[in-house]
Amino acid sequence: MTQAASAAPMERSHSIASAARATRRAGTALVAPALLLVIAINVLPAFYGFYLSLRKLFFFSDEGFVGLDNYTSLLTDPLAWDAIWRSLLFTFGSLALAVPLALLAALGIRRMGKFGSLLLTVLLVPWAMSPIVVALLWKWILLPSPGGLAASILSVLNLPPADFLTNPTMAMPTLIVVGVWRTFAFAAIILTAGLGQIPQDLYRAAAVDGLGAIERFRKITLPLLAPSLLIVVSMLTISYFNEVQTIIGLTGGGPIRHTTTLGFLLYHTGFVELDQGRGNAIAVVMFLINMLLIAGYIRLLGAPKGRPAS
Amino acid sequence: MMKKTNRSRRTLLKLAGAALALPLLGGSAMAQDLSGTVRIWTFLSPEGSSPREVVLNDIIEQFEGEHPDVDVVVESQPFQELETKFVAASAQGRAPDIIWMRDTFLSLVSDRGALANLDELLSEEFKQEAIPDMFQVFVEKSVFDGKRESLPLWPSPAQSIFYRKDVLEEVGLEAPPLTWEEFIPVAAQLTEGDRLGLGMPTNDNSVSGFINIMSGFGPEIFDPETGQLDLTGDQALQAANVVRQLSEQGALSPTLLNAMGDDIQDQFAAGRFAMAQAFSPRFQQFKSIAAAYDPEQLAVSAWPAFGDRPPAVLLGPYWTVGISSKSENQPAAAAFLEALYTPEASMQWAQTAGLVPDRQSVLSDPYFSTPEAETIMTFVDLLSAPGAMVFPQRLPDITKVFPVLNTALQELIGTDEDPAAILARAESTLGW
Repeated sequence: MTQAASAAPMERSHSIASAARATRRAGTALVAPALLLVIAINVLPAFYGFYLSLRKLFFFSDEGFVGLDNYTSLLTDPLAWDAIWRSLLFTFGSLALAVPLALLAALGIRRMGKFGSLLLTVLLVPWAMSPIVVALLWKWILLPSPGGLAASILSVLNLPPADFLTNPTMAMPTLIVVGVWRTFAFAAIILTAGLGQIPQDLYRAAAVDGLGAIERFRKITLPLLAPSLLIVVSMLTISYFNEVQTIIGLTGGGPIRHTTTLGFLLYHTGFVELDQGRGNAIAVVMFLINMLLIAGYIRLLGAPKGRPAS
Repeated sequence: MMKKTNRSRRTLLKLAGAALALPLLGGSAMAQDLSGTVRIWTFLSPEGSSPREVVLNDIIEQFEGEHPDVDVVVESQPFQELETKFVAASAQGRAPDIIWMRDTFLSLVSDRGALANLDELLSEEFKQEAIPDMFQVFVEKSVFDGKRESLPLWPSPAQSIFYRKDVLEEVGLEAPPLTWEEFIPVAAQLTEGDRLGLGMPTNDNSVSGFINIMSGFGPEIFDPETGQLDLTGDQALQAANVVRQLSEQGALSPTLLNAMGDDIQDQFAAGRFAMAQAFSPRFQQFKSIAAAYDPEQLAVSAWPAFGDRPPAVLLGPYWTVGISSKSENQPAAAAFLEALYTPEASMQWAQTAGLVPDRQSVLSDPYFSTPEAETIMTFVDLLSAPGAMVFPQRLPDITKVFPVLNTALQELIGTDEDPAAILARAESTLGW
């Protein structure tokens, strides 16, 4: 009897363990195809790219192993450091504009109900468009001569045409505005979904406790929206840091290199100058900077529950 | 039985006759047996309707009519990517049979062994009649170590100055002055309201207005040994000062700092420029899109020169066409290549697309004495002018030199930095 009684829990734990193993196996089987794809499409080419960055490659001609030469020449080139600085300026300038705009849009859309969803769909159109099409569209809008939409509007107001894209001071802010216009609705969608996850009871309880709107936003909305914000900020950072098509289409890295970001430098080095070894070295540096930024966000916004996000 | 013997005899006689005729007929007899697919990579589109696309489609249609077993397939590619994609495809065994390239990339493509020796593929008739009939200044550039690797197409002065006759008349001129000393004040005078005296692409990786200005010193701007430009020398500095003066006097505007060739073309159509640097083979296209002026007022000029030198005509970058060394259908590809250069094709390129004919002999056709062909004859004069020159066969750092000089051009227009410092930086960036 004692033996039988002790055997039953053992059997039960055994069957629980085997069920857990089966679940793990099923999970692995489900994830495996995607994982293999990621390895084939992302991981292996990344390693190959790193391998190529250690070689002198020009116009598809491999001139041999050069060690870290591509990296040392890149990191001692002031133009490369300028490009890194401009990439960070473009990334954080765009984030500073896009995230608050997206948050405002998400809050507004939540309040607007069905009309809000319709508005969000309309706002999503630029995000769905090809970046190069967006660039061409804005190029026409901003053309500082007769025929340009902005110039025509300014002339109605008796103002001279503005050199949005050709003035070295205005080119980068203009690129940021165009980049944000294209992407903020995507961020708004994720934040709208995030807002929907916050229990309404918390707001009701806070109202009973006498918390004002700003305090409710600071003490409830913002902390509970942190996971969504982390996703938005991470995705937008990667998107902005790697942006190249809009830059190619709008400014071609000019005027006088004022919009030559690291992404554009990669395109230019690899596909215009055809220095593919150095181009791969830039790609590796971009990857590392991307990873550093994401790690920073996880540390900032992904703090464990119970500890305030610093 | 008798009938059968007679037929055999006739067949034998036919074969013997054919064997005798074969060396005489050369490639054209061989062409009768052509079959398979000929893949072409060009920037022209088979669905396009520009004059050049119309002519190419006509030539293909005619060729396929004469060779019903050959299927010519055009695979359109972005023009800036033709050479790189071709070399990559060649390495992977996916290269097309025929490739359009810019002459400035020819040595790089040739060095990678991607091009077939045309001397072994073209018919004797073509080699004896067609090649000597072409403009030799272009033809010789395609010969590497005694091997002919491509044939130039659409001989033209590449980047020339397009201008509006009606605007020049406003200042009492029929054409732009041909020395920089006189050109600069005229260009400044032509700037009025929204209109600029001169439009130049400053951010187009395929062209360099700065080299065009330097070409006013003649072919000696390129070092005969290295092919490099002396960017810290006196000639480069004088060219830089021309840009600076054009900018300071309002003929060139900082609003052009990101301009590509296509931007200049569109803005010229909208009436923004009195004169502009433009790609010569697009003359008809410029006329067809003219919106703010009468297209008949469009004309073409050489670049001004320095001092007493003849007007500058830099013949390049231009298009040149080759056959892949990996092509599995080289005979059919060679036959089609020849079809692009027949006198009939040359007439078509001229009459429909306004291009200088590849075959000089057709210039005796009465068409070229008509007012319609006036611009073509201007181009022909430019090609034969004493100031005409090509880029060196091997222009070093060809993938970098245009972008670097375009940045220098932007700095000359958009800043007040010392031109010598700008040029020194450009030279240092190129590592020259």
